[in-house]
Amino acid sequence: MASNSSASGPSSTPTAPAEKPSALPVNILPSPVARIYSIVHPALLLALCATRFEALVENPTKELLSTLPWLALIQISYAVICLPPAGSTPSTESSASSPAEGKTSPRLPSGPSGARHGKASKRKQHTNSWACIWSRLLPATLSLSLTFLMATPVLALLLVLFGAPLTTHNAETVLCAAHMAVLSATALIYAHGTDRGVWNEVWGIARPADAVWGGALGAGLGAWFGAIPIPLDWDRPWQAFPITILVGAYIGYALGSLLSRTPLLYGKRVQFTAEELGNKEKKTN
Amino acid sequence: MCLFFGTRQLDNGSRSTDEHRKGLDLRNYTSALNPPPIPFPLHFEWTLPDPVLSAQSVLALAPASLPSNTIFGHRVHPSRTPLASSPWALSHNTRPRPGAPFSPNLRRSNAPFTVEMVANPASGAAGTGSKPNASKHGLSASGPRSPAAQSRRKQTGVLDQKALALEDEFKTKHLGVLGVLAWIMLLHVAGIYLFTKGFLLTRMVLENKSSCEVLPFEEVLAQPHSTALGIRQEKGCWHEKTFDKAIVIIIDALRYDFTVPFASKDESETAHLFHDNIPVLYETAFQNPANAFLLPFIADPPTTTLQRLKGLTTGTLPTFIDAGSNFAGTAIDEDNLVAQLHHAGKSLVHLGDDTWHSLFPGYFNENLTHAYDSFNVWDLHTVDNGVTEHLFPLLHPENSTKWDVIFGHYLGVDHAGHRYGPNHAAMASKLQEMDRVIRRIIAALDDKTLLVVMGDHGMDAKGDHGGESDDEVEAALWMYSKRGIFGRTSQDTVLPPKFAHDRFVPQIDLVPTLSLLLGMPIPFNNLGSPIEEAFSGAGGKNWANLATVNRLTSAQVKRYQHQYGIARGAGDDEESMLLYSAAEQEWKSASKSFSSKSSAARASNELYRKHQRHTLDVCRGLWARFDVPSMIQGVVILFAGIVLLVIYARGLKMDRTQLTPRLLSFAGTGAGVGAVSGSVLALVGLTEMTIIDSAVLLAAAGSIVGALPAVVTKPANLTVPLPNGMWGWLAFFFTVSQSVGFASNSYTIWEDEILLFFLTTFGVCAGISSMRQKQTTDRVLGVYHSVLFVILGRIASFSRLCREEQMPFCRSTYYASSTSSISAPWQLAIPFLVTLFLPSVVRSFYAGSKSYEGAAALWIGFAFRLGLFITSLFWMLEGADDGEWLPLSKETLKSVRVFLAQLVLALAFAAGTGAYLYSKPCVSINVTKPTEDPIAPPAPIIAGQQQGPRTTVTILGFGNVYGTRFFFLVINFALAIILMQKPMGQGAIALLLCQILSLLEILDTNALTMSNSSIGPVILGVLGSFYFFKTGHQATLSSIQWETAFIPLSTIKYPWSPLLVALNTFGAQILAAIAVPLTVLWKRPLQTHDRVPASEPSKNPATRLLSDVVQAAGTHILYLATINLATTMWAGHLRRHLMLYRIFNPRFMMGSAVLAVVDAVLMIVAVGGVRWSTLSVGEVFGW
Repeated sequence: MASNSSASGPSSTPTAPAEKPSALPVNILPSPVARIYSIVHPALLLALCATRFEALVENPTKELLSTLPWLALIQISYAVICLPPAGSTPSTESSASSPAEGKTSPRLPSGPSGARHGKASKRKQHTNSWACIWSRLLPATLSLSLTFLMATPVLALLLVLFGAPLTTHNAETVLCAAHMAVLSATALIYAHGTDRGVWNEVWGIARPADAVWGGALGAGLGAWFGAIPIPLDWDRPWQAFPITILVGAYIGYALGSLLSRTPLLYGKRVQFTAEELGNKEKKTN
Repeated sequence: MCLFFGTRQLDNGSRSTDEHRKGLDLRNYTSALNPPPIPFPLHFEWTLPDPVLSAQSVLALAPASLPSNTIFGHRVHPSRTPLASSPWALSHNTRPRPGAPFSPNLRRSNAPFTVEMVANPASGAAGTGSKPNASKHGLSASGPRSPAAQSRRKQTGVLDQKALALEDEFKTKHLGVLGVLAWIMLLHVAGIYLFTKGFLLTRMVLENKSSCEVLPFEEVLAQPHSTALGIRQEKGCWHEKTFDKAIVIIIDALRYDFTVPFASKDESETAHLFHDNIPVLYETAFQNPANAFLLPFIADPPTTTLQRLKGLTTGTLPTFIDAGSNFAGTAIDEDNLVAQLHHAGKSLVHLGDDTWHSLFPGYFNENLTHAYDSFNVWDLHTVDNGVTEHLFPLLHPENSTKWDVIFGHYLGVDHAGHRYGPNHAAMASKLQEMDRVIRRIIAALDDKTLLVVMGDHGMDAKGDHGGESDDEVEAALWMYSKRGIFGRTSQDTVLPPKFAHDRFVPQIDLVPTLSLLLGMPIPFNNLGSPIEEAFSGAGGKNWANLATVNRLTSAQVKRYQHQYGIARGAGDDEESMLLYSAAEQEWKSASKSFSSKSSAARASNELYRKHQRHTLDVCRGLWARFDVPSMIQGVVILFAGIVLLVIYARGLKMDRTQLTPRLLSFAGTGAGVGAVSGSVLALVGLTEMTIIDSAVLLAAAGSIVGALPAVVTKPANLTVPLPNGMWGWLAFFFTVSQSVGFASNSYTIWEDEILLFFLTTFGVCAGISSMRQKQTTDRVLGVYHSVLFVILGRIASFSRLCREEQMPFCRSTYYASSTSSISAPWQLAIPFLVTLFLPSVVRSFYAGSKSYEGAAALWIGFAFRLGLFITSLFWMLEGADDGEWLPLSKETLKSVRVFLAQLVLALAFAAGTGAYLYSKPCVSINVTKPTEDPIAPPAPIIAGQQQGPRTTVTILGFGNVYGTRFFFLVINFALAIILMQKPMGQGAIALLLCQILSLLEILDTNALTMSNSSIGPVILGVLGSFYFFKTGHQATLSSIQWETAFIPLSTIKYPWSPLLVALNTFGAQILAAIAVPLTVLWKRPLQTHDRVPASEPSKNPATRLLSDVVQAAGTHILYLATINLATTMWAGHLRRHLMLYRIFNPRFMMGSAVLAVVDAVLMIVAVGGVRWSTLSVGEVFGW
């Protein structure tokens, strides 16, 4: 509050509001498993959504509750298999992994984000990836618990502010928020931890596009658009409160996480004002 | 409170004595500077950027006069100020803002503006001598005796002249801008008029009258009737009369379910207070079916009393065009039952609702008739007591020769519904009173007299009516006679139906029934059918009689249809002709067989009946015929108006005020030429339109054609009016998506929820955008106010009044219950909470820019609070009246309430407007001399500057001069609007005011104030629409709170009553519209002509301000005009939609009314008010 000195430079630099250079976009890990699964993952989510749709319409609360662990599992495995955990420089990575299992895993391959580490033998890579997975389970669990503790209440509050009923349908609201949180926040927390700069960018929708951020943003936008059919008088059972929002979030997540990896969008940021756009152009020129 | 609202108030403890705060005009203020008096004109301060001046006038920094140099989020940084290069940054240090063209660091200067000057004549003179152009700025601190003073005075004169010229220019341009807004409004009115003319249905009124001597059959038309007229009139004209006399009692809003024993539709439903309180009707029909029958009596919408009386006496269908004339009835010139009775020489008596008198002037026996004002819905008893008082003497046998037909119109049930809603003890007792009245009439009735009791319409769940929901159209009809002549044709129909949708009769059926029972001819325009029960005889087998009356009716219907076809220039409907001839065929065979019970009579009866109903359907279709060309003309005018507005508000880079003369003269010329040529065309007969229509059309078209070249002048001045940046697109998206949504009845029904969704979306976007701000203060304040904005909106959303179509997914909270229209006792606390908190909240926003100075303390802290307190008392007394908590008579309470309400209105409008015109800006100017303030740290001094005794002039509230001054106007209207709302609505309006303030802070922290973004005015439009719903309204006619006209008045007074209802209905939109100029005025940096940016040196800053204001106003109108065009187009397009009258038509009418009201308010109040706020700022700070 009192320190605006850091933010207000006398000369205006057209940089993002973050005080230090912001974190780079997150890449999917280079291993083939990661690459394949990163494509399979959105499809898997959509398949889950599609197969459970009827049950969801039938009894939303029950279905949401029973699907939640599965969703969490899918998201965790996605994070573990495909994403570098927060603060993943090789050293922290190995130190995190070594107490977990010290016998077989050698130190050298544990750089997960290294594009440079692709030449290892197949077998080694295999064991290494298993080791990495094991070492990533801790941050994954952490991120999952943070998701439930922090992101779910925030999203539930947002749902209510957007007009979700406050006096009724509380279970639906909370469960819907939990699903959205697991969809969007797990990977974000896993990949970025509690890096303040990153989260400031998240609140400002100013992250560069990557699989993680694209998925989160897509889930939010999808949920927003999902609210549109609710008031229509089609008298369909699926128009009940959380269903369309959740389906929108799932579709949005899948689309967002896939599209934001494409070269067209990757690394781009959402621009708010023409001024920002102009500044950016100036900078690139 | 202050901390809660994110701004911290500045303790002004270090300011010197009060005498320094008196004057605000610095010109007069000079006398307070002593010794010696420095005759400087005000302009001097604004010339400070001149480097010369910094040598002799030292700008002291905040620490000298502030107890703390940290204002919430605005720390003053002396060390970082580029002192030499920009003295302005020095005195108003907030943050340097790149990109803004002019004095960006002034934008939110919470720090007081401080000037410290050398007041020592000697040293000052020394300084001045070496600076030749110092005197130009009138800054010389030398004594008045020096020769420089002469030239300075001259210069001062020149500057004054310049200021006067600028002021005059502003005033002229301001008038011009008002002219432009007036032109836009007229354009809208013309478009709406043309569309409405074609859209709201009209029906040709035939002048033909039925007469006693001419039967409706074609074959008897020519031949004169054999029997003498006198005999016929005695025995009955077309049909033998059954009764000599009749008493027709209308219980306004007698809904069918009031009259039958409670029958639950589903198991959970239990009897309400309005059930089972008027059992006499059912009882008699149940016990003696031959003496009485009770039937559901379905009204044709609109269910307003005037329309219903027309239908009940003429037997025709209402068309929508008459719906609005409920407040001013006009005489019926069609053939009708009352006129027929009058012409037959009957003595007619009317008691009760005075609507009858405007409809049937001169028809009633003046000695016996007593009419009462019908619109005082707060008064449940005057009308009813009057009717009862004058009715029963007439029933005395000695008076029986004085009258033939009595029309008694009770209003108590309707008023109880309007005031309390049906589920209230007052309704129960009113219905019980009606029960007693009817029993007394029965007791006094003789054999020759027919007694009819009916409702003219029903009421909805909260006691209002006007629309076409089931509850509103389902009235009850009961006929009673001591002779026992009523019959039932089937055993199934002996009992009155349990629910209104079983075996109902249309209300127009009363007309032929009553006519034939009383031996009158059926009115010429009648489309109703005789009611079976009245003609089938006590045994229910008198088919011959039934066939006879139906034949008469059918013949009359056919005759009418034929005449109408001729008048319209169209042929007869084939199917109804076929039906009629088939019926005639059967009739002839029946008359041959000489048997009253023959199946032929029965069959012909059926066919006649079919013919009548078929014709009714044909006519319903016929009168749902729209004048499509006129509708298209209206839509085109409205569309062209929007195109012009898009260019004017969003597509111009230039100063809009420069356009005014050209625009107005071109548009005026075009309109004149159009009006003249339109009139000529119509006079010559080249068009089929009336003179008025063609003149209006061509005038509007001409002004559009004329205005286009005036607006589109040079390409250099134009930009593509596409939104740029996220905010522009967001505003565009809100407007367009809402407009598209009106094509769907669901989105129209759920508009309130959708608006909440939009507002929350805006709040979230504002929070996101605030997170991107570079300055921590902007970020924190922006996020804070975004969160506040969203939460306030969500809190307001708990105030709901559900429309019928929202059920069962909606729970009304606006009133005590969903079947009531009074506030719950706990809701009476809301006005007091508003009194307690709202002024403090407003104050905290003022204090945020240290503007709680000058008139603000009196205005906000005292007058506003006082007004709110009186309002709370008013509603407390209202609650006491409703709940009968006080041992005072109703009259006393009413007169006290009226006095209180008038007091508040006087405070808001009379005193408020007066004060607004003459008030000074919310700044405080304070002068300290160093001797009074010895502990002040030494001011930063420019090297080489000589020291001397200095006088520090501190101006508090400098950063928001325009905004805080203009906001007084918003406060005045907020007070009046709050008075006019029910307690729940008062809370909503208070939240609206807070949200507007939060919005202004959001706009400021996101740098949207000076960039003329479209988002501010559009969000204000969304806010206005949202709070329309939150103040207990819906886009339905029945949700209009007519009773609020009686808040400050005890009787209807034109034009005040409609204005008061408008203030209640459109209060939210009016308040939002008045706040529109604030989107460019809030925390706008002060600009005077000598401080304009170098890029436009010749510009008058006041006209730039004016241009910005009119751009914001144009954008706001654009939002509403787009909504209006969309609702208009959809209503026109969906004119055959099942839901037209329930959903699309009311929404179209609301959109048009809102547009017209907001156009007028923006022109007269909002933009009009900018004149005085700007003049007042200019008076103190120069031009």
